[in-house]
Amino acid sequence: MKINRRKFLNSILGIGGIGGILSIFYPIVSYLIPPKMAEPKVNSVKAGSTSDFAANSYKIVKFGRKPVILIKTVDNQYKALSASCTHLDCIVQYKSDTKQIWCACHNGIYDLNGRNISGPPPRPLEQYDVKIVKDEIVITKMG
Amino acid sequence: MRTRVFYLSTTVLLTIFLFGFAFQKTDNKTKQTPKVDNCLSCHKDIDDMPQGYSDYDVHRQAGLTCASCHGGDPSSTDQEAAMSPAKGYAGVPKRKDIPKFCGKCHSNIDYMRIYQPRIATDQVTQYYTSMHGKKLMAGDENVAECASCHTAHSIFPVKDPRATVYKLNIPSTCNKCHGNSELMKKYNLPSNQLEEYSKSVHGIALLKQNDLGAPACNDCHGNHGAMPPGITSISHVCGMCHSSNMEYFNATKMAKAFAEQDFHGCEQCHGNHGVQKPTDDMVGVGKNSKCVDCHDKGDVGYVAAEKIEAEIVQLKNNYDAATNKFLEVREKGMNDVDIGFLLQDAKQNLIQSRTLVHTFDPAKVVVKTKDGMNITNKAIMLSDKEISEYYTRRNGFAAATLAFLVIVIALYLKIKDKEKRKQA
Repeated sequence: MKINRRKFLNSILGIGGIGGILSIFYPIVSYLIPPKMAEPKVNSVKAGSTSDFAANSYKIVKFGRKPVILIKTVDNQYKALSASCTHLDCIVQYKSDTKQIWCACHNGIYDLNGRNISGPPPRPLEQYDVKIVKDEIVITKMG
Repeated sequence: MRTRVFYLSTTVLLTIFLFGFAFQKTDNKTKQTPKVDNCLSCHKDIDDMPQGYSDYDVHRQAGLTCASCHGGDPSSTDQEAAMSPAKGYAGVPKRKDIPKFCGKCHSNIDYMRIYQPRIATDQVTQYYTSMHGKKLMAGDENVAECASCHTAHSIFPVKDPRATVYKLNIPSTCNKCHGNSELMKKYNLPSNQLEEYSKSVHGIALLKQNDLGAPACNDCHGNHGAMPPGITSISHVCGMCHSSNMEYFNATKMAKAFAEQDFHGCEQCHGNHGVQKPTDDMVGVGKNSKCVDCHDKGDVGYVAAEKIEAEIVQLKNNYDAATNKFLEVREKGMNDVDIGFLLQDAKQNLIQSRTLVHTFDPAKVVVKTKDGMNITNKAIMLSDKEISEYYTRRNGFAAATLAFLVIVIALYLKIKDKEKRKQA
């Protein structure tokens, strides 16, 4: 089949046009369905419903790039503290038997206010505010 | 009438109570802080002040005077009368008497409660159980007494950075005597402890990074009751902070074997003042291994050491590879948050597997290293996905640019073509 100059140009224009339209619409569609990306700066996070959280238990919540330990004490109080041990950055846990925060790496112990009371941790854990908004737990930065 | 008597008696009682209270207070005050302190004014006038005297000394700031410690009558302007033994003048105490001299107040709970309700009052008792105290009691006046560490006239609270016993200052305070090789030779003690300590993991943390959580001399040796830790107490001393390590070690057969051989627990492998951050090759069978000091090729300990090191090194290498990938993801501006959390978990497994070395049981170490390997592999997988996404986006951008370029060229040629046909 003989392709003349006009046909060739029209084909190129067609292909380029389709490519151009795709190049415009792909970012628009991608914007509408954004990739999984953490917010660059987080000031508060929702940590689930109060009814799903048993007393004398804990969970680790992602607060931007930082892990936060959220504890519901035996008397139904909420405590949120940085979950990174101040010794070597291990993730701390809540010990429901001793009612203390414990780091499994070197047996560092903190009280429920985050004060380092035993073992190698040199500093207390950073505290976060906990608010209950319509049965939902919201952790915010202090101050 | 009855009401009048009631009011009168209440007023009288209240007056007596208030006067009594006021007199008691005044009495205490005059006893401790006389309005006139002729000792200080005269000694200042004749420029004969004690060495290192500071007006900011904790005792001075609390309102105590020279006479509070040295006795005498500060209200008298007559030297003889002011410094008369009849007025309780004790003068400068002899070195051997200094602990008791300070103890007059510091061992008196009722007195100390007025100024420092939380302060311990057993320092002198503790001191006499220390090596310093025992030697001083035996007549050796070269050893440290209260003023050697606290100074005599520039004493500050322990949390005051000006204090010679402030945490950051303790190593140099102890070194005043313990760094004196001539003096230490008499006791057959080394004098390079500060030099060793400064290069140790604890010394770097305290002296270079100002980390007040790091131990100074007194955290291991005690302060008023200072003693070298004995063989049986070494793992307890280290275990005050490194409690998991102590717990694991004490539960092993090695702890018993160490005790039988008179080995010094933690110190045997880690050293004392110069303790360094442990490296992975301290276990295993390489040239830096501590295990081969006692274990020979083929024995159970040798095999266990080899296995433990191999496991930890494998996890460490995988963790490093995952960290490099994580850094690449971050550099490319892709989503690194979940990878960061995975790496934190992996690091935790690595640290715990290193701590589990003190069980000397490869099976226990493997449990942690296996978890760590799974997590690091997951982190590597996620990183690869993000890196691949980055290239997909970049290639997509190149394709889009190419498409637009083609359109522009094609449009140009098309316009040219149309113009040519118009002219024709």
